[in-house]
Amino acid sequence: MQNNSTVKYSNNISWESVLELIYDSRVDSVGLKERVSSLATRSVKKDSKLQALKMIVSMCDLTTLEGEDTEGKISQMAAKAINPDPSDKEINSVAAVCVYPSLVQTAKEKVKNSSVKVAAVSSYFPSGQVPMDSKILDTQYAIDAGADEIDIVINRKAFLEGNYRKVFDEIVALKEVCKNVHLKTILEVGDLKTYENIRKASLISLAAGSDFIKTSTGKLSIGSSREACYVMLKAVLDYKSLTGISAGIKVAGGIRDSKDAIRYLVMINEEMGDEWLSPNLFRFGASSLLDDVLKQIKKLKTGAYQAGYYFPRG
Amino acid sequence: MIEIKKTYKNYVGGKYVRSESGKTYTKELKNEFYELPLTSKKDIRDAVTSSKDGFKKWSSTTPYLRMQILYRLSEMIEGNKESYVELLMHHGLTKQKANKDIDKSIQNIVWFAGLADKWEQLAGNLNPVSEEYFNISHQNPIGVVFSLSGSNVSLNELLMSILPALTVGCSVISYSEENSVVALKFAEDINNSDFPSGSLNILSGKFENILNDVSKHVEINLVALHKELDNNGLKSIEENASESVKRVFSQPSIEGLSSILPYLETKTVWHPKGT
Amino acid sequence: MVNWQYSESIESREILDIKSKYTNYIGGKFVEPNSKKYIDTISPSTEEVLSQIAISNQNDVNKAVKAAKSGFEIWSSLAPYERSKYLFKLARLIQERSREFAVLESLDGGKPIKESRDFDIPQVAANFFYFAGWADKIDLSWSTKGLKPHGVVGQIIPWNFPLLMLAWKVAPALATGNTVVLKPAETTSLTALLFAEICDQAGLPNGVVNIITGDGTTGSLIVNHQDINKIAFTGSTQVGKLIQKSLAGREVGLTLELGGKAANIVYEDAAIDQAVEGVVNGIFFNQGHVCCAGSRLLIQESVHDQFISKLEKRMQALRVGNPLDKNTDIGAINSKEQLNKITNLVDEGVADGGNIFQTECELPGNGFWFKPTLFTDVQPSYSIAREEIFGPVLTTLTFRTPDEAVEIANNTEYGLSAGVWTEKGSKILWTADRLEAGVVWANTFNKFDPASPFGGYKESGFGREGGRHGLLSYLKESS
Repeated sequence: MQNNSTVKYSNNISWESVLELIYDSRVDSVGLKERVSSLATRSVKKDSKLQALKMIVSMCDLTTLEGEDTEGKISQMAAKAINPDPSDKEINSVAAVCVYPSLVQTAKEKVKNSSVKVAAVSSYFPSGQVPMDSKILDTQYAIDAGADEIDIVINRKAFLEGNYRKVFDEIVALKEVCKNVHLKTILEVGDLKTYENIRKASLISLAAGSDFIKTSTGKLSIGSSREACYVMLKAVLDYKSLTGISAGIKVAGGIRDSKDAIRYLVMINEEMGDEWLSPNLFRFGASSLLDDVLKQIKKLKTGAYQAGYYFPRG
Repeated sequence: MIEIKKTYKNYVGGKYVRSESGKTYTKELKNEFYELPLTSKKDIRDAVTSSKDGFKKWSSTTPYLRMQILYRLSEMIEGNKESYVELLMHHGLTKQKANKDIDKSIQNIVWFAGLADKWEQLAGNLNPVSEEYFNISHQNPIGVVFSLSGSNVSLNELLMSILPALTVGCSVISYSEENSVVALKFAEDINNSDFPSGSLNILSGKFENILNDVSKHVEINLVALHKELDNNGLKSIEENASESVKRVFSQPSIEGLSSILPYLETKTVWHPKGT
Repeated sequence: MVNWQYSESIESREILDIKSKYTNYIGGKFVEPNSKKYIDTISPSTEEVLSQIAISNQNDVNKAVKAAKSGFEIWSSLAPYERSKYLFKLARLIQERSREFAVLESLDGGKPIKESRDFDIPQVAANFFYFAGWADKIDLSWSTKGLKPHGVVGQIIPWNFPLLMLAWKVAPALATGNTVVLKPAETTSLTALLFAEICDQAGLPNGVVNIITGDGTTGSLIVNHQDINKIAFTGSTQVGKLIQKSLAGREVGLTLELGGKAANIVYEDAAIDQAVEGVVNGIFFNQGHVCCAGSRLLIQESVHDQFISKLEKRMQALRVGNPLDKNTDIGAINSKEQLNKITNLVDEGVADGGNIFQTECELPGNGFWFKPTLFTDVQPSYSIAREEIFGPVLTTLTFRTPDEAVEIANNTEYGLSAGVWTEKGSKILWTADRLEAGVVWANTFNKFDPASPFGGYKESGFGREGGRHGLLSYLKESS
């Protein structure tokens, strides 16, 4: 373990404080699940539902992270990101598109006259199982290509081996590469398994300077869950109490429909408040979610259930 | 004219299946034939695979839900009472005896249904150990139970060979020889109830064909024989069972609380008390 | 900044068919009260008059007890299996009409529909299912020889969980072979009277269940009736003591489930976020109208500030409003009388020097409402720390050591329940051993199950309801 404990980081928190926070992490999973379930009983209808759905659209990071992605695919997705439902002028652009580094340049070109940001995954997403130098190279490449946002993965190997300092140092190093580029750190909750681990990983990532913490890569069968999100939001709130900094949360992987997305929003609304009901502090990593949201919006406006083919492919 | 009745099938994993051997055996009653599956070794192996899965699901179902499912089964049998009575009469029972058998069946299902969310309060307990420890003994269902039905044609006897194990959360492979028609008809009511697939599998055939496989199969945790076997048969089973320390019960009690005891494993947990 | 408000999501009242007037249910029939006296019953959230219920007099009570006696002749002569079947039938019918019961409960009593729908009514059905399964196996429950039913049982229940309290009383009484004369609380009689319809639907033999409405005087008449073999009462400690006194010198069985002032102990090594939830649930569930409410927060001093800060923030998210709105967390206070009691005690707390925090929320114009309230800087001598408030008011006390926590927790004449929050198992067991409470919830609160015995120590009453132990409340050893 490196002895840099006297160094304070730009986020005003020392490694000692981080350690204290980590070892103080106690989560009762039964109580937590009950709280999350009870939040899910909220009935969001009519105007409040429409408002929620529109918010969700503006919070989406439209994502494609496949080996088979091509410039053509990215172009289509970018068009959809800018104008999700051409038949409805009231629907704004999504927050961002999320792609592999090799497609950042194309994406940037396609969204240039819009508010849509380009996020790139890096640090050898999704596994992160390579030396640090490679991760830095990967990230630098994406930034040079013009990425507005970078989504990295934490070093789960180091975390599960108990080497929290290493996890921390890596994020600090990658944040230094990013400079002012917005950094999201993916915890990969499916690998972390316990709520205590998720809390610890959240705190480490926040203390290391992440602008956002993100649930999952979307590459595992276990993606995001509202319980994981709850643990993360508590960490974000505790971090804010300590430092005054408001960090963001992104949920990704497995959020398939509007109903589920609205439940996330309810949780953010009641646990965190208005400040986080914004794409600046909350995002959905989405692919199929967007279409379901558009369908629901249409249904609310017209009163009729919609078919998928009404909405352009992206 | 002699009619050939429908071919009854085994009930495994929530589906009706023929024996993989393709073989059947015939049961002749009054003016009718019944073609029944002649269960083979492979069928047993498949049934056990299904029962293992069924055990996971059934034992993790809450006691409250198990009670509800069992109670609903009684409602189903009650609804189908006439057809059961008719079937028993075909087998030669008098109408009066047949009615009594079905009534007793329903009564027993209700009894066991109401036991599902109570037996733990009767079987488990806190142990007053002499040191500052919390010490509790509680029971878990043992697992996959193979139950050989008795030779009488009776729904009630069939049920009593299944219910105790099922109530406490075991999955059951119920095997009938002489009672098969009743058993395989009963499978239809199981199918219409909410039992998770594999929690109750019902098969028919000649027991001697599968005696060795059943008694040697390591993943069958308990063998319950509700029929008297000749001494050689029982000895064989017990010897085979000893190879994996399988529990064997010959004609276990079906009365009251003692009926469930064979199907339970006791776990005792200690925890210190202090600041 | 976005302002996202939930739209109203009101549960419809269409399913209800409330009569303009209700009579008593005696001997399997609805009969006019001999007293000919009726009172209005209102919805506490709007003060709207819903219906009228009877105030029964001596003759009405006599009739009911007589019916229960002949009912007992029939009921006790049935095979246990038959009793079991009737109880299963009642359980099924409750399940089928659960929405109707839930809406009626919220309308009549003031509790949020979310609670009556997700907690009260499912628990009601579960109780009938659970006790149905005991009816045919009482002989297994205790090895005490010759347990027999009392005969006719008089049951008086409160207004906080009207139908659930009815289920807690009626199901075990019937399962053990008794027949009942039950008096629901006068502000919440409607679901009991709907239950009477269910008894009819189930074909329950006449006189097995008798429901007569009335006020305190009616209750007193039941208690003093010479042909009642046992009384079961849930309500205030004050009235419980009066009942116990009335029965002195008479051979009448008695179980009492009275008030509480439960301590919710939060140790510094608790899972803090879950403890906050548990504390909130402990006192604000059902507007605090819960005998076992965690009304005293005992927080270890080292984590006091952090905890209170999180608690206040969490309280602010509680939604107070129309009980029929699915998003309401906190409904109406049950009556003007209760609202006055709460208000007086809170005023006393402020006058004594307690620091008060109340959430910012808009209370509806009509009806009886109280904001979720938290007191800190409280001394153990203040009335808010000693008396049962029975409202959404939490009082905070601090402690430094586990011994001290236990001492403060036990420093009360009550002993119904307690909460313990810590991630350390041995500390839970150590603390639970020393708490003088009939129910100890560790890392949870307000958990109920028909299989789990519930009841108090000391002046919170005696006897248990639920579980194998709960049967004993309705059985006696035959000589």
